[in-house]
Amino acid sequence: DGNTQFERVGADVTMKCGSMDWDATVTWTANGTDIDESHLNGSYLILKNVDLAQSGQYSCYEGSSWHLKYQTSLKVGTPPREPVLMCRSNNYPKGFYCSWHLPTPTHIPNTFNISVIHGTKEMVCEKDAVPKNRCHIRYLQLFSTVKYKVTLTVTNALGKNFTTLTFDEFAIVKPDPPESVVAKPVPNNPRRLEVSWQNPSSWPDPESFPLKFFLRYRPLILDQWQHVELSDGTSHTITDAYAGKEYIIQVAAKDNDIGTWSDWSVAVHATPWTEEPKHLTTEAQITETTSASTSSFMAPPTTKICDKGAVVGSGAVAVCWTAGLVVAAYSVLFI
Amino acid sequence: MAGADSPSAALRRRDLCARGIRLAGKMRSDVVDLLDAYVERQGLDASASVAAVEGVPPAAVEHWDEQTGTQRLLENLAAYRAFRALLAQMLEEQREQLGEADAALGRALAAVLLQVSAFAYHLEELLRLESRGPPSEEEDGPPPQPRGLFEQKLRGLGVLRELAQWAVRSARDLRQLAKPGPGAGSAPSPAESP
Repeated sequence: DGNTQFERVGADVTMKCGSMDWDATVTWTANGTDIDESHLNGSYLILKNVDLAQSGQYSCYEGSSWHLKYQTSLKVGTPPREPVLMCRSNNYPKGFYCSWHLPTPTHIPNTFNISVIHGTKEMVCEKDAVPKNRCHIRYLQLFSTVKYKVTLTVTNALGKNFTTLTFDEFAIVKPDPPESVVAKPVPNNPRRLEVSWQNPSSWPDPESFPLKFFLRYRPLILDQWQHVELSDGTSHTITDAYAGKEYIIQVAAKDNDIGTWSDWSVAVHATPWTEEPKHLTTEAQITETTSASTSSFMAPPTTKICDKGAVVGSGAVAVCWTAGLVVAAYSVLFI
Repeated sequence: MAGADSPSAALRRRDLCARGIRLAGKMRSDVVDLLDAYVERQGLDASASVAAVEGVPPAAVEHWDEQTGTQRLLENLAAYRAFRALLAQMLEEQREQLGEADAALGRALAAVLLQVSAFAYHLEELLRLESRGPPSEEEDGPPPQPRGLFEQKLRGLGVLRELAQWAVRSARDLRQLAKPGPGAGSAPSPAESP
């Protein structure tokens, strides 16, 4: 007979060979492989302290005729632990969804049953086809002070468990992150970056339920973020960027009045505008520096080149001594 | 008086809505602070469920998105008139109970009462623009008085909680009202985000 048998990990399992007597001669197989007689007690198969690897098809054959007398599919697993449940409204005021999972797998099939109660009213949570561990509810009422109570029960052949969440309408409102974040340099502005984004497409009515935004940005070379909160609009100009440095920028959203901040948007990178180096007319091999670096100095075109040997100092402040003389002369002129 | 659809009426409506939205935001913030202080000073459990209290207008509404502008204004006005009477009663009870011992709570209650009155006036102005005019205040007398001290405290909790919800709802209602379209009963001027 085909049937399924569920057993807990660590249990001792005894399988009878159908209606065969205890003292009958039988052969047991597991997934087609003969099982050693040491596991037999008469015609009974004894499996001690079963583990997951022992799941499979077990068959019992009469000794001489090899007739199949009994067959079972053994599934070793565990009863469910308390499930993890989360409910959230990313499409307020239309409704909310709840999703769940088990903290550890049971290795056997589980069924989930969810109940949603608002005051005395039982509401239907419609299960999503994909993903399977999710259902959604349409709000019947808005602005209610009565809390929602969601109970998720998980059941399998070895046991059941449940968890309950209680929350009010406003607390679970959390939009999806802003979309289409774009950051661009501003021409002729070495310290500016223009950032724009869009409301998350899942937010149904941004006009009546406007979102506010939180922008964070930092140069890649630093760990510290700068933050700006914006109460309206879907764009912002950063005006204190370090010239010439690549920035990483993210935006988050929140309903203007209720709920919590979204996760951060996908990060975008941008570098502020820098001036193109001027074309030099001399044949000299003058090291080019960008005008965005305020500490650099562009030698005038008539300046002689430096021989490598004439360089004094090192690193960013290396100065050719002949050029230094020219600089000094110019400085005197401008004092 | 300008017709409900005239450009000046539309501008006035938008202006009243924008100011009303700001007032509702401030009111909510103050009510939330007051709620925290009230719970603490009255020795209540913040998570206690309070059943619907008689005389406290519930903010909960079904088919909110289908309401007309006039319905929104009328329901809001009825609510804030009720809150005005309830808060006045709470203020009286609080003075009798605690006297001068908790002047800060009394001042906070009085400040919220003022905002509620101001908001009710705002709503009356908006209704006048609808060429409908606000309904006269019903002469029902003061709201029912809770019998014991504990009942008073629980009712106070219920009042402030519902008022906090109303403040959020009112901001949403006014935003709906500020939108052009049949529901808002507004003039055909182009919509701008507030």
